[in-house]
Amino acid sequence: MKKFILSVFTLLLTVNFLQAQDLSIKVSDENISMKIGQTLQLEAVVVDASGNKVVDRDFIFYSRNRRALSVVDSTGMATAVKHGEYDVIVISPGDPQLRSNIRVTIEPAAIAKVDFGTIPEKIYSGITVPLELTVTDEAGFERPEKVITLTSSDEEIVSVAPFTKLIPKKAGKAQVTATVDGVNKTLEINVIENPITKILLKSDKVEGRSGDVFTLNAMALDKDGNEVSDAPINYSFTGESFDVSAAPSGLITKEGKFVADEPGLYVLNATSGPAAASITVQANERNITRKIDLVGQGSVNNKHTSDLWVWEGIDGKDYAVTGTWGADGTAYFWDVTDPAGIQLIDSVKVDARTVNDVKVSEDGKVAVISREGASNRKNGLVIIDVSNPRDAKIISEFSENLTGGVHNVFIYKNHVYALSAGRKYYSINIEDPSKPRIVGEFELDTPGHSIHDVWVHDGIAYSSNWSDGVQLVDVGNGIAGGTPSNPVQFASYAYPSGSNHAAFPYKDEKTGKFYVILGDEEFPYGLDPDGRKPARAAGFLHIIDFTDLKNPKEVAWFQVPFAGSHNFWIEDDILYAAFYNAGVRVVDLSGELLGDLNRQGREIAWIVPEDPDGYIANAPFTWGAQPHKGHIFYSDWNSGLWSAKLQPVVPQNATIENK
Amino acid sequence: MSKILKSVFNKAFLFTIASGLFSLVAQAQDYYIYVTAESEDEVALVKFDGEKATIEETIPVGVWPAEIEGPHGINVSPDGKYWYLSLAHGNPYGTLYKYSTATNEVVDTVMLGLFPASLQVSKATGLLYCVNFNLHGDMVPSTVSVVDPEEMIEIEKIETGVMPHGSRISADGMYHYSVGMMSGELFEISTTKLKVNRKLNLDGIEEEEPAKGGMDHSMMDHSKMGHAAMSTPMYHSATKPTWAMPHPTNGKVYVAGNGSDEILEVDLEKWEITDRFKTGKGPYNLDISPDGKYLVATYKGSGETGIWDLKKKKELPRVKNTRMVSHGVSISPDSKYAFISVEGIGGEPGTMDVIDIKNAKKVASVDMGKQAGGIIFWKME
Repeated sequence: MKKFILSVFTLLLTVNFLQAQDLSIKVSDENISMKIGQTLQLEAVVVDASGNKVVDRDFIFYSRNRRALSVVDSTGMATAVKHGEYDVIVISPGDPQLRSNIRVTIEPAAIAKVDFGTIPEKIYSGITVPLELTVTDEAGFERPEKVITLTSSDEEIVSVAPFTKLIPKKAGKAQVTATVDGVNKTLEINVIENPITKILLKSDKVEGRSGDVFTLNAMALDKDGNEVSDAPINYSFTGESFDVSAAPSGLITKEGKFVADEPGLYVLNATSGPAAASITVQANERNITRKIDLVGQGSVNNKHTSDLWVWEGIDGKDYAVTGTWGADGTAYFWDVTDPAGIQLIDSVKVDARTVNDVKVSEDGKVAVISREGASNRKNGLVIIDVSNPRDAKIISEFSENLTGGVHNVFIYKNHVYALSAGRKYYSINIEDPSKPRIVGEFELDTPGHSIHDVWVHDGIAYSSNWSDGVQLVDVGNGIAGGTPSNPVQFASYAYPSGSNHAAFPYKDEKTGKFYVILGDEEFPYGLDPDGRKPARAAGFLHIIDFTDLKNPKEVAWFQVPFAGSHNFWIEDDILYAAFYNAGVRVVDLSGELLGDLNRQGREIAWIVPEDPDGYIANAPFTWGAQPHKGHIFYSDWNSGLWSAKLQPVVPQNATIENK
Repeated sequence: MSKILKSVFNKAFLFTIASGLFSLVAQAQDYYIYVTAESEDEVALVKFDGEKATIEETIPVGVWPAEIEGPHGINVSPDGKYWYLSLAHGNPYGTLYKYSTATNEVVDTVMLGLFPASLQVSKATGLLYCVNFNLHGDMVPSTVSVVDPEEMIEIEKIETGVMPHGSRISADGMYHYSVGMMSGELFEISTTKLKVNRKLNLDGIEEEEPAKGGMDHSMMDHSKMGHAAMSTPMYHSATKPTWAMPHPTNGKVYVAGNGSDEILEVDLEKWEITDRFKTGKGPYNLDISPDGKYLVATYKGSGETGIWDLKKKKELPRVKNTRMVSHGVSISPDSKYAFISVEGIGGEPGTMDVIDIKNAKKVASVDMGKQAGGIIFWKME
């Protein structure tokens, strides 16, 4: 009997399995060709083993590239948008659930035009003209994959060189024709005899240091000694390093600014057709390294430490507050009057897991700490009376519109600027710190905008908005008529990586340059596999020249390989930058900034907080740095608060006597 | 094969399969559950052997070591081969991760909306439906993302209410239920049509606009809302529904009224509230035992778990959880145990409690990373 039941069961199982397997989904055509703009009803049916249509089956269609091939999911109506090959997935829900694939080829539109781009008004013989050719089809799409054939009507006057460059050879007229798929565009070229016979080249200095910017002035002259003001000048350099083990290197811009990375002799060249001039300059050792000494530590080794703020209390002593991360919502208060004997003097615990940011008002009376991970999911911020940091007292909690978590805050002139949900920041009046009230907000309107930090200086809020870069917003400076209740954005700069995480303004009084330094935050290498050690970070500091607010320009950068930038501070032409895996880097910002600051020897000193008794032993993960009264204070994720002392500059040729 | 014979064979087949499953279940000893730790960026794989719960593996999730990415919603594919995890925080959008249950390693990811939360794969369509909670954003209607988990492509976003949350799919995989926490609505989405079939205002408001996040103020206490900088206040549901759980067989959907301290019974045929069960403080997540007898609810506000006998419509003695802020619940296929995630407060660890449903008794507990939240049963062995 058991055998019989087993046989019946097996038979039934087989029948049902076969029934399920017999159904399949059939599409109207597995390979479909469409023209741009065409709409087409995609068809699918479920059939049994005999090919009979199974009724009452639904279908879901979707395109793997909706921007190029739009497909209405419930009906399968497809609209071709852009040329290419795309897949449409067809799903028939039910039992069994069936899937199929339709390959749709959208034919490219015919080529409509080819453009030469911007051509110089005057084309001089002997001076190469690069072309910026674009091909556009009748659907309006650029077609960079198309091979363009360039021909000259007179190779004696102008010839065609690889990489779409024209070489004007002698004065005269010629036609250059670009051809793609039978579509032609002809450019009338009038080559002018090159009047330039001489270039006068000057440098603002002939001797400097690595990292110093040499500004060239090249004047093109004709045979009569008259200036040819529109002469295109190309700059280049060669060099010889003083150190035989180091290759000469540097950067020269198209505006004629040169900076050497390696000390050495450099020949700077200016050419315009056959005319050329050179000048030799010497870049000496920058020689700005200084000794840095570890002075003290306020250890936190039972939880992660986040940001820090150091200030002079109303009693004239010096204090610091540090946050904690992924822990129990504690902020610690320290007496740092003696940086060698940092004393923990009080703590405040709030309902949170992370106190990511801590700030103190200019008068040293009020601190604000941010909350993330509150148990009731109403995060917001907490305002604390720190007029006596040994007895820090919570004045108020504020979570209106901030329930999603406050990642960063700033205090400026009785207002707290607090991030909300990583999307915007609010300005909150705390003239009465027991009754904070929102008075304004700033939010971008770009698609998918987000924000990580805000820093206020001289009435300007510098917010770091990831892919939207830094936003300069008037919150009381007056430059754009803004106030805390009416923030007005007046300048911005974004860069392609989209990693803008922090910003700090820097005005160089000597050069008159106004820079904003933007810091990345990147973790491209993933988490530590065992989930214990901190990950290796990447990213660096971008130096943006904002002297012309309408045309900000990225001019320099500071990078520590395989370390990754985090928070930073600038004081007296010196940058104090925390790099996650590489401690605090102290960098000379004096003078004009151009190129790779680290390779130029601008790093003055560095110190890495390694603590065998740390929360994670010997795993530096430096969060932020702040100079204060001649010392550098810095917080580390795994070891708490530290202090260091940058030793004074030792005059060259000075002798150090042993006592 | 005649229709009658086929019918007999099919019934016999189902009975045999059911018997086989029952036999397997009866012999099973170990239960495996995935639990997220939202403030630790970890997922714990927990094993319960009938007496003791232990952490089998802790899986770090996300990519930002110095930012909390917030693993929130979690679920297992119908075939048990993959688990899916929503990471709530991003710049600004959250991400859906697909992991292999065999290796607990990432298979693929896809970016979704703002604060993606609860999620589930429909056994009818094979598609994954994930609510974009937008917990930390403005009070505007958000969406349910539809993802093809084979390709990890988001194929549709279906707009629902304000702060969509607490979603579960009907046993046949054809309907997706979720709530708009702040708009006070229950949404039914056709998983095959990818459209909202119907919605029900749980606050008893008939007007269309308020339920969409409009300006009806009748049930609000604005003195506690502090809308100082806002020109017009937003609607906050008094019911504040946080979870919708369809019953496997009785044609009802049960909704946690987190703001009104009740569970609402919604009749799917009538599409109206047909009963209300007064609960402990802040019912949050719900699950129903596969045998359909019990509804288990976490009471977030009181740190308790409520077990309801659905036939008698009576609550069994409440079970005190190990710590405060009870969060998620997932019931074993044998309907014996409810696995409860408990967040804790501040620096406390998260916890998973195991509750013997029939006896309404906590039988095991294990601590894990902070803020235990999303929870899903994986398998029995």
